[in-house]
Amino acid sequence: MIDGSLSITDSAVKQFTKEYLDSVGCEIDSGEDLWQVTIPDTAATELGSGTLSLATSEDIIEQEETIHLHPESGFFQELLTEACARRPVGKFGIEAKDAEIEIPIWIQKSEASVAKVQFTPYYDRTALVFLFKISIETVSEYEREILRPIAVDTRSGDELPKLEASYLRLTSLDGSVPTTNLIEIEEQKIEEVLENSQSYVETRIEPELDEVHQEASRAADAEIEEYRQLQQQHLEELEEKQERLSEKIEDLNEDIDTGDQEKRVAALKERKQLNAEYEEIADEISDVRERRDKGFPVKQREIRERHALSVDIQPITATEVEYERGEVEFELIRMDNTKSLTLGYGSGVGVTDEVACSSCDQRFDQSRLIQKIQPNLTCEDCGGQ
Amino acid sequence: MSDYDLVDIEVNHDSADELFDSIEDSTDGRDHLQSIQAARLQAGQPDSELQSLKQLDENSVKLLEHQVDAAYRALFEMDGKALLADEVGLGKTIEVGMILKEMHFRDTSDSVLVLTPAQLAKQWQAELREKFGLEFICNYDDDFEDFTAHDYIIASIDTAKSDRHRETVLGRDWDVLVLDEAHYVKNEETERYELIDRLSYNYAFFLTATPIQNELTDLYNVVSLLRPGLFGTRDVFHQYFVNSNQETLVNRNELQNRLNKVMIRNRREETDIDFTDRTVDTRTFEPTEKERELYESVSEYVKGAYSQSQGQKLVLMLLQKEVVSSPVALKHTIEKRLDEQSELTHADELESILELIEKIETVTKQERLLDIVEEVRENVEMGRVIVFTQFRATQQQVLERLAEEGYTVHAFHGGHSSSEKEQIVRDFESEGGILVSTDAMSEGRNLQFCNILVNMDLPWNPMRVEQRIGRVHRIGQKRNVFIFNMALKDTVEEYVLDRLYHKIDLFQQSVGELSSILSRLEESGSSFEDQIFDRLVNADSEVDLENDFDALAVDLDEQRELADKLEEFNNGVFSGFDLGADDD
Repeated sequence: MIDGSLSITDSAVKQFTKEYLDSVGCEIDSGEDLWQVTIPDTAATELGSGTLSLATSEDIIEQEETIHLHPESGFFQELLTEACARRPVGKFGIEAKDAEIEIPIWIQKSEASVAKVQFTPYYDRTALVFLFKISIETVSEYEREILRPIAVDTRSGDELPKLEASYLRLTSLDGSVPTTNLIEIEEQKIEEVLENSQSYVETRIEPELDEVHQEASRAADAEIEEYRQLQQQHLEELEEKQERLSEKIEDLNEDIDTGDQEKRVAALKERKQLNAEYEEIADEISDVRERRDKGFPVKQREIRERHALSVDIQPITATEVEYERGEVEFELIRMDNTKSLTLGYGSGVGVTDEVACSSCDQRFDQSRLIQKIQPNLTCEDCGGQ
Repeated sequence: MSDYDLVDIEVNHDSADELFDSIEDSTDGRDHLQSIQAARLQAGQPDSELQSLKQLDENSVKLLEHQVDAAYRALFEMDGKALLADEVGLGKTIEVGMILKEMHFRDTSDSVLVLTPAQLAKQWQAELREKFGLEFICNYDDDFEDFTAHDYIIASIDTAKSDRHRETVLGRDWDVLVLDEAHYVKNEETERYELIDRLSYNYAFFLTATPIQNELTDLYNVVSLLRPGLFGTRDVFHQYFVNSNQETLVNRNELQNRLNKVMIRNRREETDIDFTDRTVDTRTFEPTEKERELYESVSEYVKGAYSQSQGQKLVLMLLQKEVVSSPVALKHTIEKRLDEQSELTHADELESILELIEKIETVTKQERLLDIVEEVRENVEMGRVIVFTQFRATQQQVLERLAEEGYTVHAFHGGHSSSEKEQIVRDFESEGGILVSTDAMSEGRNLQFCNILVNMDLPWNPMRVEQRIGRVHRIGQKRNVFIFNMALKDTVEEYVLDRLYHKIDLFQQSVGELSSILSRLEESGSSFEDQIFDRLVNADSEVDLENDFDALAVDLDEQRELADKLEEFNNGVFSGFDLGADDD
């Protein structure tokens, strides 16, 4: 599953800060280690006004008015929050240029070479890509936060994993989005696709959830076991106490049978008190035993509830992606043979058709490459036959 | 192994209203791209490089790849809760030093508590200071107040759990807890375990070379303190991972997967550490008649005074050590005692000892030192030799004697400032000659450019001896190292050397190995120095004394064997166990 996050290196921090401040209308005079930022009143930002000194190196001694710019700095975090909330919805278009046509891996890695590629677009299609922020929380583990893109074709409702990879590539800090436009999809459609995407993302995060779930179950299990042992110990203590009381009562019985009146009265009084205590302990013992025999259901429930996993899934950006569908023609060469291969293709989506070996009928993929191209395509396993 | 459906999963889809509200604002593609990038950066891991490494002084500490790797994994892959379980001698303290330095750099360690066995506390303090520039207060320092008054504390675990301090230790939220020799908390029924279990902290680093002491449950207990629930319940752990005879592991892959989340174990054979050979030459000399007389009367005095008042133990111990170092060292202490004129100083006896000191014309050790120096200097680069003594007075006299003979000499002691010390070491390196040093040199400074060391006298604490040797015989030493020990015949020094140090093979042990032996011994109560002194003053006869020292040697030997066995056992258990980072 594709991770949507970008690593926050010092250079990423500098690059993004500069681009963002520029886009909201600030002026930056950037020295090597110190930037002077002028924020006009008209700038579309809440980050401040007037001038700011941003230190981009640890060597700059902190002075009043100087803000250190680093991945964990408050200023940068504030900037990210603002940038993130600014335009979470938008539209990109991905055009297929012949030079950027993605050649399937089973051709790329094979001994055949591609002499010519030509893409013929037939129609435009639209997909929606959502970035989901997922947080998984349980008491025994650190909270995990992950970011996942989900791309769905708006007409067919199909998932488009390859488009997700293209989307991440295009939206990286070094990426460039070819064309941008106003969003055209209606809100109702977005809601419908979002619903599909939510269910897709749930399926995709299953491996992560399973892992945390297992950890949490083990932790709950350990706690229940500890409680069970504690109760067992408590029970044994009660039983010992009960036995001691029983012995004392027995002794008192003897006093009552044999002692003089004064002693008897005192013994009777004491026996009454001890009997009450005995009963109380007996009740407690039977209560603990009963709960034990049932497996301490209340405590178990309480512990399980406390260790339950809470998963929050939130769509934080939505991008309408317009891409082209059509056919791509690959001209393959292998030794003296040539072959033309025409396959369904989408820009940003890659080859949409599956191709199988003409001999064994197994699908070509990264572990099944083409070997012969004439008269038909055959895989390495069947190539010699 | 267990029913993993014990807990529920509740999935909640947050409202997308905010997203829909901004549909109308979707005017500019560039802005939208930036919103996506901002979201992706927000989800990204912060730059996880050890940024503080470049601040370290290469002369103070040489970092090895496995150490940097361990520090990195503990911090960034284990979320700051890790069991550092390298084999002995691979530098676990360095790994923790790096971790603490990095956390300090990132401002994530406002309060740090390092818990160690008592014998190692000061050593930790010196290493963190000198190698990493981290200032900690130790509970043995005079200005230590209590556990609420300082933020960076190194303390013996037993001090921390004592009735006097327990509540303050537990009453505080620590940012970082470091626990050395973590196997001491293997038993969940001890006060030590309870202390660690109840401590409140955000990050924790436990160190041990032998996570398993007696049985595999030890591993369970130590790991469960760090990451509760990682192994499930004790019973489940046993059923699933331990075969019935308690000696081997089953389901190793699963165990490895889980341990990988919390434990780092480097093995010697996998690292690039390569120590050169160490040759030890112990020379015992017959004292002159007058020296013998002096030794006997001091020993007699110490014995008598101790039997009358045990409160003077430290000073009596000092006299007993000084008499074998040099008469001049002894003289200073006695004169000081006479000046104090306490009732218990037995002025007459002390005066007569002074007279004996005055009569000594030839100091055997000093003369023999000249032989050694002369013998070796021709064979080593720039004649560099280090001579260690515990006492400033001895140092001074030796320096004068060597200078008289025309040697280039350098003095190093605790009275120098830090920059002076650096200059002395630089001079010694460039000019060569003989460096006469007190044990102030023992910690922190590296003298790999020299490979000859003479122990003019011997500390009764084996860790100190090893620290001396560690100055020259360490990573980076390219030549074989020669160590000369000097002792006077039939003195306490000979006992300590022959019966104890050679018995535990002290001169061939690494600091790590030694600390595991000594901290085991410390478990049984008193310190090593105390044990030597007690035997010395309590023996009724020569034979008794010999027997007593033999008995102590047997104890030490047993501890050493136990330590060896444990190391072997742990290696056996973890063998074939790749605890490195997962490739996938």
